[in-house]
Amino acid sequence: MPKRRDILAIVLIVLPWTLLITVWHQSAIAPLLAIRKDDGPEGRQDSGTAGDSKEYCSPDKDIVEVVRTEYVYTRPPPWSDVLPTIHVITPTYSRPVQKAELTRLANTFLHVPNLHWILVEDSQRRTPLVSRLLRETGLNYTHLNVETPRNYKLRGDTRDPRIPRGTMQRNLALRWLRETFSPNSSQPGIVYFADDDNTYSLELFEEMRSTRKVSVWPVAFVGGLRYESPKVNAAGKVYGWKTVFDPHRPFAIDMAGFAINLRLILFKPQAYFKLRGVKGGYQESSLLRELVTLNDLEPKAANCTKILVWHTRTEKPVLVNEGKKGFTDPNVEI
Amino acid sequence: MRMKLKLKTVFLLYFVVSLLGLFYALMQLGQHCDCTDQLLLKDRTVSQLRRELQKLQEAFRKPSESEKLSKNPSLPTIYVVTPTYARLVQKAELTRLSLTLLHVPRLHWIVVEDSPQPTPLVRDLLAVSGLAYTHLHVPTPKDMKLQEKDPTWLKPRGVEQRNEAMRWLREMAAAAAVEQAVVYFADDDNTYSLKVFEEMRFTQRVSVWPVGLVGGMRYEGPVVENGKVVRFHTGWRPSRPFPIDMAGFAVSLRLVVAHPGARFDRSAQIGFLESSLLQGLVTMKELEPKADMCTKILVWHTRTEKPKIKREEIMQKQGMGSDLNVEV
Repeated sequence: MPKRRDILAIVLIVLPWTLLITVWHQSAIAPLLAIRKDDGPEGRQDSGTAGDSKEYCSPDKDIVEVVRTEYVYTRPPPWSDVLPTIHVITPTYSRPVQKAELTRLANTFLHVPNLHWILVEDSQRRTPLVSRLLRETGLNYTHLNVETPRNYKLRGDTRDPRIPRGTMQRNLALRWLRETFSPNSSQPGIVYFADDDNTYSLELFEEMRSTRKVSVWPVAFVGGLRYESPKVNAAGKVYGWKTVFDPHRPFAIDMAGFAINLRLILFKPQAYFKLRGVKGGYQESSLLRELVTLNDLEPKAANCTKILVWHTRTEKPVLVNEGKKGFTDPNVEI
Repeated sequence: MRMKLKLKTVFLLYFVVSLLGLFYALMQLGQHCDCTDQLLLKDRTVSQLRRELQKLQEAFRKPSESEKLSKNPSLPTIYVVTPTYARLVQKAELTRLSLTLLHVPRLHWIVVEDSPQPTPLVRDLLAVSGLAYTHLHVPTPKDMKLQEKDPTWLKPRGVEQRNEAMRWLREMAAAAAVEQAVVYFADDDNTYSLKVFEEMRFTQRVSVWPVGLVGGMRYEGPVVENGKVVRFHTGWRPSRPFPIDMAGFAVSLRLVVAHPGARFDRSAQIGFLESSLLQGLVTMKELEPKADMCTKILVWHTRTEKPKIKREEIMQKQGMGSDLNVEV
């Protein structure tokens, strides 16, 4: 009996110390694992989002190498110390035309000086296709990802239909900007939301570079019209919207029709695109009304009389001949 | 007795204290970790250092391939033939195509409008594009033209325009010495990576490569064995002499000039347009496979949706249509 007691005593002495040392060890490497995913559900700023919004130090045993965002400042085009940087935020998702869309978008961006491309994938993790493409372009980029939650109550594969496409991705980019740049820094920047299927002229980027708060311009092929445009009076101020679809929206403008000065984004850290409960066409307003009033808008493109951006849409390719099993080699990337 | 008691108490105390300590530590495990700040700082420093390193590396880097190439006068010219026609998305398509072509050294863009005369839209676009270009025009005869409601495959498009471009090229080649050059038929709605132009540049006769998103498949293309094209991988009518898309081949200028009768045949069956030109120029054995023995997709047959402008039409009927002076 005494022997057993002794053994018990020794075990009881050693056990807490072992556990304590293990815990200490874990906490030493936990900071490295804290931000494992770049995404993290957007919970803090938006109301009603399900899911845990905290980032926590996951007590995983294996040490996972954390690859966060990459700054790749390689040349073309030549970087100027004087020009404000244009941060172009592009949400993207996997589909057959994705590589083509991103390729021709990159070919456009390669002409624009001081452009920083923030590409946000709607995916669980950053895909090799996009990573490789970004690397090979030589552009200055940041590669992020956040997956729009699926609503399993509907069909298995549909994303939550109440969240407009690209919203979580754009919000993540805004959050990244706020985490990366401090409001006091003197680095001037402009933020522009560029979807991957639109068409942009080079002149557009030069027009937006002089944005002080929020600048606006016409966009072709939106709202069922040849183009939608802000209404500009003789004094050069925006007083309304030349649209047919709900012209009484606070900001009756397409995502591609405005740009925001980075300072404004940083000074109003609570301003995000509203995730849920947004009527069709009100997405842009949900962000802009937190940032600026109609009076503050700066009209560009010759007082909103020129079209410098087109809301083109690419047809979904018909892949009938692939059949059920697939005819082409799936290893060949398209 | 006393000694024993003391030890027992000490032991118990120690046990309780360490247990409490453990509980406290375990509670901390699941909590919000305020490590984000340190991490961001670390990340930022690392990125800054990487940036500096990159800048220093650049200072010693050799000039890029394309810089070397554009200064080389003996580099073969690529003549890109683009037929185009007026429709809502025309300016957008030509704009983004021109922005791609602008990166390619020694490239000459031949834009041929389906129109009885050159239009100001195309003329002005070309003038500011920064590209070397030739602006041609030839109207498609009315009975050959697709009507509004026709499906796109009903009549072949761009035939007269591409043939006109070849006529111009032959004329130009007759006037000046025929340099080594290559001709590529690039439609204005496809997507081209910059690599495809470098692949085609040194074509001797006819070079070929796969095209993405065409023929009802992810991609269509030649199958290469031992460096030669042996057949074509396609899901539709593989018995065609050249079951290949317009964007999937390039012809050397010398070959075009050497066969003055070679042209696209308007009366060819659907899908046989490319064959109608190629069978007069080359055999399958002579084809030069590019794009890593035809294993890489460097060009995609994208198509742009027709914009829905129902509201515009309604407004126009009411006399309140958008300003037509604003070019779209």
